[in-house]
Amino acid sequence: MERFVDLAVSAILLAGLYATMAYGLGLIYGVLRVVNLAHGGVIMAGAYLGWVLHGSLGIDPYLSIPLVVLLSFGLGMAMYRVLVRHLPRGAAGGPASLLLLFGVWLVLRNVAYLLFTGNDQAIRTSYSTRSLLVLGTHVSVNRLAVLVIALVTPALLQLLLRHSHVGRAIRAVAQNADSCTLVGVDVERIYTLTFGIGTALAGLAGLLSATIFSFNPGFGSGELLKSFVVVVLGGLGSVLGTGVAALVLAVVEVFAILVLPSYLTSAVGFVMLVLVLVFRPGGLFGHRVLG
Amino acid sequence: MSLLETRALSKHFGGLRAVDAVDLALHPGEILGVIGPNGAGKTTLFSLMAGSLPPSDGEVLLEGQRISGQPAHRLVRRGVVRTHQIVRPFPNLSVLENVTVAALHAGGRAEGPPRERAREVLEFVGLGDRTHAVPGALTLAGRKRLELARALATAPRVLLLDEVVAGVNPAEAMTLAALIRAIRDRRHVAVIMIEHVMPAVMSLSDRVVVLDHGKKIAEGTPAEVVKHPQVIEAYLGKGHAGAQA
Amino acid sequence: MSLRWPEIVPPRAALAFAAGVVALAVAPWVLGLSPYSHNLVTLAFLMVSGALAWNWMGGFVGQVSFGHAAMFGLGGFVAARVLLAAPELPAPLAWIAGGLVAGLFALGAHPTLRLRGPYFSIATIGVGEAARLVFTYWEDFTGGSSGLSLPIDSDMKYRLYWWGLGLMALVAAASFLIRRSTLGLQLLAIKADVDAAADVGVSATFYQDLVFCLSGAVVGVSGGLWASYFSFIEPNDMFGFDRSIGFVLMTVIGGVGTVFGPVLGAIVFVLLRQFLLASYPQLYLGLYGLLLIFIILFEPLGLTGLLLRLSRPLRRWADRPAAAPSP
Repeated sequence: MERFVDLAVSAILLAGLYATMAYGLGLIYGVLRVVNLAHGGVIMAGAYLGWVLHGSLGIDPYLSIPLVVLLSFGLGMAMYRVLVRHLPRGAAGGPASLLLLFGVWLVLRNVAYLLFTGNDQAIRTSYSTRSLLVLGTHVSVNRLAVLVIALVTPALLQLLLRHSHVGRAIRAVAQNADSCTLVGVDVERIYTLTFGIGTALAGLAGLLSATIFSFNPGFGSGELLKSFVVVVLGGLGSVLGTGVAALVLAVVEVFAILVLPSYLTSAVGFVMLVLVLVFRPGGLFGHRVLG
Repeated sequence: MSLLETRALSKHFGGLRAVDAVDLALHPGEILGVIGPNGAGKTTLFSLMAGSLPPSDGEVLLEGQRISGQPAHRLVRRGVVRTHQIVRPFPNLSVLENVTVAALHAGGRAEGPPRERAREVLEFVGLGDRTHAVPGALTLAGRKRLELARALATAPRVLLLDEVVAGVNPAEAMTLAALIRAIRDRRHVAVIMIEHVMPAVMSLSDRVVVLDHGKKIAEGTPAEVVKHPQVIEAYLGKGHAGAQA
Repeated sequence: MSLRWPEIVPPRAALAFAAGVVALAVAPWVLGLSPYSHNLVTLAFLMVSGALAWNWMGGFVGQVSFGHAAMFGLGGFVAARVLLAAPELPAPLAWIAGGLVAGLFALGAHPTLRLRGPYFSIATIGVGEAARLVFTYWEDFTGGSSGLSLPIDSDMKYRLYWWGLGLMALVAAASFLIRRSTLGLQLLAIKADVDAAADVGVSATFYQDLVFCLSGAVVGVSGGLWASYFSFIEPNDMFGFDRSIGFVLMTVIGGVGTVFGPVLGAIVFVLLRQFLLASYPQLYLGLYGLLLIFIILFEPLGLTGLLLRLSRPLRRWADRPAAAPSP
């Protein structure tokens, strides 16, 4: 029983992180119909950004959130303006965009390798090892903070999408870009902003991951795939769906330890990805993804 | 026996009954027109008959054999083929290649090398001199002819035409109408056509079926159907039906 | 029925192809290749075969797989196991066994083939990575992270040059025939528009299964040859994501969907890799990334497209009227 509570608590904490990773990927796909394969690279970049700010300037990772988010936002807008926008017409959702952003990922990995070498790094703070007693189990303060941020982020995102002018335009473009052009919405500007916001969320997820896990330039591939599981399972454009899907993934992964050798638990996410795509392509909350 | 028949054919999308218990029969050598206001369920009906969508209820029979539930590509081999209102040529293939792909799937109803049959069909629809063009270089009417050629290359027994005449200029519409008649008379293919252009459908069709809100509301010769009060009501609104009666 | 020359093969192309194969076959004796070059060319043969087979799926059908390492690794380990169990067996039989198992594995991926575009690609990442983890864990089969050693003598290693050449020639000829045949026409139709293809009778499911199975089998055979060549294999490398990426990069760099693009791309990839790993290992990935970005944005047909573009003015110059006044 105690083990069960332990596992349940760690699944919930993990779910917060997974949801944060997935929001950005889902947002960009929902609006631009582009699968951002560079997502994993941006998560990795966010981790290093936090690590540099903490290591050389002594900024606490949680205080560096605004800066990391802002820088990732800029990176995302630049990626859209310089690269994604110039994709041949009609190919935006096809293999071309996939390969282009894959190329961006390789470049990001290489840049990180040149700057920071391939060694594993981690952000260690004074409270990294501190824990609280919750439901009879020890819960790391740091992981709890990550969960809180993971809950606040979608609320802010939802506020932005529902109640701001830009947010409404983003939702309108996601519905039908052609009619938006007709009524005078600057669709290119909305695409740029959306790519920026999606990338900013990935950067944030990277920063949060860095406070929990160690990372190197190859970090982010597993995170990309997990984000994808969550997006597909949760359905597009549904913040609640994303949250539930993240929880499902985290629970399955964490509890797999009871039946599988620990080495294979990381395969669970990949297998789930394939099963979800094949058998529940509409996700738990509708929205078909089959072409 | 009728060539193609639907029995209580239905398709529901959630609560919406896009096609609601439609019975119709196509006889050999006939052109059957399907008309109805926008959103009456005409294209959905075609998708059900051609195997692009599985029906929610009811069945489709080809010469008395049930064909509903089979995928589109298998129905093509059995001789049921459709065209689309918005034409979809393969942009990366030449006109001849577009038709050759289709000619490969005649299901034993045609003889000779596919490429030669494709050429013959292109001559028939009047694209004999454009075989090496890419579809993008054709006019809209040309692409409609290509769509027809692609369907004909499969040596169909039943041809489902979705608004072939719509959207082209009147002169082109006349020649396309003549082409459809030639498909029946010279190639012996039975045709079901959805059409918005009333003069075309009325002059071409042997019989007409009228759909409204997914239901069949009338059936008969073109002359009978235009006098049918429910048809007038569906097209023009209630007041006009009363005025006519 | 008498045998006829197939219409789709121009005699000149067949002659050039045969001449090229013969030239490569005698090259080690005529040129006296150093062991280093001998190695490099053998590896290039295997990579060219793999890239050509990847292109059947990625280029002709338009389904970009990020998971071909699964078939490569499977082919390698099955061949290794067969050779370890029966060392007296001719090696080609073991390679064929590897190819068959890899082909069957690809058939098993049937459910993922319902997916199109990015969804297929992402699913293949999942299949590939799951395969890597499972096979690394399955020590009885793959030896786990300590790998397997094969009973291969140096003579066999030397002869693999010609086996590799044979495989490559076979796969290249098959690529050409597929592209020119009605099969290729149907694959291109599926690539352009699956629904429209179904409406004229093309069964996308059948052809995708067929092509994925063939593509997987060829990649499996090249994995078997690879295993024999190195006489030591390790699952994390054979099934590695980098290997899947390799097939994608080679084909895209050379010219995806063209017949000889993958040949060009694989050769450039192998040479570039050798050069970069030796001189600038820290720039290895990034350079491929930049190349990929450049190709997608400016030259979707890769090096093949670039060559076509360059050859046009050259040909115009060659075809200029002989009596043209010189400026």
